[in-house]
Amino acid sequence: MSTPTITTTGLTKRFGDFTAVDALSITVPPGVIFAFLGANGSGKSTTIRMLIGLLRPTAGAITVNGIDVIREPRRVRDRIGYMGQKVSLYQGLTIRENVEFYAGLYGLAPAALTARWSALRERFGLAQVELEKPESLPAGIRQRAGLALATLHQPPVLFLDEPTAGVDVESRGLFWDVIQDEAARGVTVFVTTHFLEEVDYCDWVSFIDAGKLVADATPEDLRHRFSLGYRIEVELPAAAREAGARRLRGLGLAGLASSDAGFTGRTAQLDGPTLAALDALAVDIPEARIHIHQPPMTDVFRRVLGAEPSP
Amino acid sequence: MSWRRLRTLVLREIRATLRDPFTASILVAVPLGTLLLFNSILTTEVRHAALGVCDATASPASRRLVAELRAQGTFDPVALRTRTALDEALRRGRVRAAIVIPPDFDRRLAEVGRGGVRPEVQVIYDGGEAVLAANIEGYLNAIVARVGAVLVDAPGGGRRPGIEVTTRVLFNPTLDGQVFMVAGVYGFVFSFLTVLITAVSVVGERLAGTFDQLQVTPATSVEILLGKLLPLGAVFAFDVLLMALVAGFGLGVWPRGSLVFFLGVSSVYVLVSLAIGLVISATSGTASEAVQRSVLFSIPIIQLSGFLFPIRSMPGFLQWIVEAFPATHYIRVSRAIYMRAAGPADLWGDLLFIGVVGVLLFALAVRTLGARA
Repeated sequence: MSTPTITTTGLTKRFGDFTAVDALSITVPPGVIFAFLGANGSGKSTTIRMLIGLLRPTAGAITVNGIDVIREPRRVRDRIGYMGQKVSLYQGLTIRENVEFYAGLYGLAPAALTARWSALRERFGLAQVELEKPESLPAGIRQRAGLALATLHQPPVLFLDEPTAGVDVESRGLFWDVIQDEAARGVTVFVTTHFLEEVDYCDWVSFIDAGKLVADATPEDLRHRFSLGYRIEVELPAAAREAGARRLRGLGLAGLASSDAGFTGRTAQLDGPTLAALDALAVDIPEARIHIHQPPMTDVFRRVLGAEPSP
Repeated sequence: MSWRRLRTLVLREIRATLRDPFTASILVAVPLGTLLLFNSILTTEVRHAALGVCDATASPASRRLVAELRAQGTFDPVALRTRTALDEALRRGRVRAAIVIPPDFDRRLAEVGRGGVRPEVQVIYDGGEAVLAANIEGYLNAIVARVGAVLVDAPGGGRRPGIEVTTRVLFNPTLDGQVFMVAGVYGFVFSFLTVLITAVSVVGERLAGTFDQLQVTPATSVEILLGKLLPLGAVFAFDVLLMALVAGFGLGVWPRGSLVFFLGVSSVYVLVSLAIGLVISATSGTASEAVQRSVLFSIPIIQLSGFLFPIRSMPGFLQWIVEAFPATHYIRVSRAIYMRAAGPADLWGDLLFIGVVGVLLFALAVRTLGARA
């Protein structure tokens, strides 16, 4: 088993009588996209600021990329990239000048910077705007430029605090493509977001509420534990209904019922055998139309928080 | 106009003002503090001015004259054995005025009653602070004349002024206020403008998010601090040179001492003052709070630092307090270089203070910038 890239043990932060983060223990394996979710004020940003050494914890331990962050907050800084809620681009400087500024801080030689920036500006779609100032650019481009800066020195760990806040849907999709690219290259990504649908871009989800960890699993596992399951709708021609019904009963779908167009039912997990059986149905009855509805993450998290009972 | 709407707007404004403890407290503290402070510093009275005394006769009569000078609380006599020591003390600013009592003081005093020539004492004072110098001269003349009249036993029981006073003004013989003001303006500009300019620098970056980003780079707090101080310091150092040249060519006011020394001291002072601004900025929550704090911090310091009002006219406790301000020492140094051609050896105390405070402020700024909550 590989050594985790990020671990926290009993991580706690108190501001006076208020406990912002309460005995948080998480483990992030290398190369995964780790979503850290929670409502506003739940302790997400406080946690991320402790992880990158900007905030001293009241108690607990943090290790990032093998470094004890509490003891050596400075040492961790050349191994991480960080992008805050406010994109950290200097107004008045062009994107290219911002890049040169941060490259100077990370000690990138001019030749290395030229090579690195050539690759980044293409990947992040910034070639057309590198001579523009951030204040004249849309939020989506600023976000991508911010992420490009965070990855400029090729850190093995990326911390992204609400990176898609205030960005339109299309830009968010493009942004997540880039994050997934980074993860595919072996970068560990720790990301906070309050867009619950973005969880599906991630490998692992931790959810905190009032500073406490309330869920810690893969998105699929959370759906399995905290939702009514995937809703499957199968449209069938009248002649094939009887045969179709037999096949669907064999799948053991919960709440299987007939509808005007065919049948509906639910399955807790979209596992291999279920998908294979649906595939076989589609092959055997070519007129069949199969629709699979993923349970919305908002419903999952309502149940996680106890607003709705778990099934 | 709707009175109801106006009432709503006014009530909200009052509520917002009173709920902000900082604004509420300055609304009360500033008027009262200003009233009490200016009542103390806007006085032309001379109190406890350091007075060099070169008493070449050391007779009962001369000692009585010195005792009378001390008794009023106007002067604090400092015995100086020679004229050279006296001149040195005036140049270094240890004393603001001096009185020279000649060796024949007693003999001529005794002869006045018999129609002899009146004894002559020489009063020398630093003309740098023109208003204060004139007041010192007035007080000295009055006290010497009164004591002289008492000491001389005039025939027929009448009294006439028994001691002749000759005056000599050093450094600014025409009591011209321009040099005094020009040399002081440096202190005003580089105490106020520097703090104000840097006040929003860190808090502005914090609010924009760039400061967090900077802090997660390998840049150390010292590098971040110097990265902010040095460019602004260079600009302000250029300003010092520009001001010195404009004052010289435009107003005909050149430092009597070394211009290079003045530029060097001013450049260091600018960095000290910028560090104060950075500390204010780094400890403020918002840009407007930083500006309010820097103005509230700078204005009293400038007013009390001797730029406009003579420190020697302030109450004793205030004189102690203002000695803690770097601006007080810088203005003193600036005027000493401009008016008395003072050099490092004459000003080492003030220079040392500025240097030590600079180091402490630098350390505080580094600590503040690098602080983890």
